[in-house]
Amino acid sequence: MPVISVDRLPLPNLKAYSCVSVLALSACVYYAIQAIKEPNWNTMSDTGRRATPNDFERYNPGYNGTEADARTVGQFVSDIFTVMIREPVCVWTMINMAFCWLILLGRAVQKLVFGELRVSEHQQLRDKFWNFVFYKFIFVFGIINVQYIDEVLLWCSWFSLLGFLHLLSQLSKDRFEYLSFSPRTPFWSHVKLMALLATIFALSGFMFVVSIFVGFFGGFNTFAFMSAEVILLSIRTLHIIIRYALHLYDIRNEASAPLNSAEESKVWEKRGPISYYAELCFDLTALLIDLVHHLHMLLWSNIFLSMASLVVCMQLRYTGYLFHEIQRKYKKHRNYLWVRNHLEQNYPMATGKELQENSDNCAICWEKMDSARKLPCLHLFHNTCLLSWLEQDTSCPTCRLVLDIQNPSSANMESPELQNDPQENVRRPFNHFFHFDGSRYVSWLPSFSVEVSHVQAIRQNHIAASNSQLDAMARQVQTLFPHIPLSTAVEDLRSTRSVELTVENVLEGRLTAPVIFRETEREPSTNHRPMSVLQGDVEPAGAARNWDEFSTENVECEDTASLGSRFSKSSSEREKILQKRKEHLVHQARRRYIEKQRASTRTELQS
Amino acid sequence: MAGSALRRLMAEYKQLTLNPPEGIIAGPINEENFFEWEALITGPEGTCFEGGVFPAKLVFPPDYPLSPPKMQFTCEMFHPNIYSDGRVCISILHAPGDDPMGYESSAERWSPVQSVEKILLSVISMLAEPNDESGANVDAAKMWRENREEFDRIAEKIVRRTLGIPT
Ligand SMILES: [Zn+2]
Ligand SMILES: [Zn+2]
Repeated sequence: MPVISVDRLPLPNLKAYSCVSVLALSACVYYAIQAIKEPNWNTMSDTGRRATPNDFERYNPGYNGTEADARTVGQFVSDIFTVMIREPVCVWTMINMAFCWLILLGRAVQKLVFGELRVSEHQQLRDKFWNFVFYKFIFVFGIINVQYIDEVLLWCSWFSLLGFLHLLSQLSKDRFEYLSFSPRTPFWSHVKLMALLATIFALSGFMFVVSIFVGFFGGFNTFAFMSAEVILLSIRTLHIIIRYALHLYDIRNEASAPLNSAEESKVWEKRGPISYYAELCFDLTALLIDLVHHLHMLLWSNIFLSMASLVVCMQLRYTGYLFHEIQRKYKKHRNYLWVRNHLEQNYPMATGKELQENSDNCAICWEKMDSARKLPCLHLFHNTCLLSWLEQDTSCPTCRLVLDIQNPSSANMESPELQNDPQENVRRPFNHFFHFDGSRYVSWLPSFSVEVSHVQAIRQNHIAASNSQLDAMARQVQTLFPHIPLSTAVEDLRSTRSVELTVENVLEGRLTAPVIFRETEREPSTNHRPMSVLQGDVEPAGAARNWDEFSTENVECEDTASLGSRFSKSSSEREKILQKRKEHLVHQARRRYIEKQRASTRTELQS
Repeated sequence: MAGSALRRLMAEYKQLTLNPPEGIIAGPINEENFFEWEALITGPEGTCFEGGVFPAKLVFPPDYPLSPPKMQFTCEMFHPNIYSDGRVCISILHAPGDDPMGYESSAERWSPVQSVEKILLSVISMLAEPNDESGANVDAAKMWRENREEFDRIAEKIVRRTLGIPT
């Protein structure tokens, strides 16, 4: 049985694919035109409708007039369509063309909204795509157990549309998270992303209406299967939109302007609980719907005994995971409520006088305090800041006074389960091995196994990536480019996870050695065995050497005053100033070092 | 909430730029990602690392300052509290929950009151006075205890490398 590794599957490039699709379609259209040139083509087809006298009349050469011409064109097109619908080859070509359109549309949206995709986004996208394809494939053939080609087509087109929107929404989420790491994102890209998210949300609403409509005729099961994913899609999209709005509110003044009115600071105080509850509600609803959807699939599949046991296993495992997630969320929320109540009952809000006496900002967020909660040690913090800290630790951030917040109902609140949460995510299986025995379901389906390497581009994952593996890859890169320091290569490999991609980055100049250290890291793999390199036959430090050879004046000493005490409003200027300051520091240190060595050799010579 | 983290990081960056502590420079390398900084630390005077300028990378979590950043030297380092890949092991960078060494009191660990400046100052004092009980680099700890002369020689070599002076 063939095993396909999807990552290495050669996919044709888009241009070639769309050219072939267009060619195939034109061939079909040509065929159809030839076919309807026959005056009585309609009667010749075996399954076709009976030709009406009307048709003969229309193709009668004696018939004329401008109005008739226009009607002929319309009729002409619909005739071609009728011919093509009857021919299976043409039907497949048209479906292929539809896919091609979808891909082209996706590409256009990507160009318009996202521009160049980052490597991790690419990976995430590809990963999500294959995941979706395989799960839905199994769903359509394994669970709904469709037998007729028409049904297969309908389900497939439904899911392709849905998958398309899913991918776009996922991409928007990734991009939003990326943009939220930078203070200098242009306003325009926020608008574009928001517009895309709103469109996805509207479309998912539309699809929901369609699924209700279909469910009305097709029964409850059809409705449930169709709508589950749609609801999930709209919930996720809405969640991103709300998070995005909150984020935009957070950064609206580039962190520099203080909150200017009491009213505004009240809103600021409220946004903590809002974002907390939004996250909780959306996550829980999504998990619950997913769980119900999976339980529904399990029950449904038990009715049809043709189910492959593997599919059941997979579903069961995933259902268990969902259940565990819901439980975890619930525990976390109980802890949150407990801490909040404890805060409200035991620690009073600071009075106006106390706030005036305390001129400091909140020590957690460094913002001004217009209202604050007072701990027994008299330290003041924003209510929300304090709450989010006490959720994970039970001491005063400033003086470490241990507060008596021990949740009695769940004494194991500080259990490693909660703390190691990101780690747990990382350890989830990375490889999906799909085995599909198609002939079990429908005789014309093939049997195959597919392995999808499941690369999760979560941030924690990057940090936790196995260092030895990265080291080995970095050394591979270094054999090609000795001037790239190992650390730089490792860093890039963390995001690319592929030697080839990093090499490409080096070749295209996206990855360069940091300026100041370019000369210093000559030996490859110094990081790996610092001992042997360092202990090598080095002349002892301070040995006689001509320090006068070293020029100390190779620096055009910038006006340090212009660099130092200024914090520019423009981000590119800040970057430039920072770079200059760094160079300046290194040069200064270098000069001081050389001068000191010169002085000490001189005193040695004199004595 | 990356938004509030961003505000706080911006405030810290501003403070570090306007009132830089002696021998310390830190800031985002590329403001496209404000959560990844580069810091330059000058070796403390009167120690074997005197005169060197050591580059390090700081990576902040999205929930900063509730969780500590991660710090990693990007130059070669040889020190009892620095792993051979450059990661720094000091108590201020450990989240309150985890305690890899098992002996730190929570008073020394991360709290949102800490800042980049405080981290870098602690790292400087760590360079001056290694804690040879932590086993981040066992070889370095052993050499620090038993063969100080050799340790100083290696440190000298590292210092020269960071300054771009041939050894
Ligand atoms: Zn605060
Ligand atoms: Zn306190």
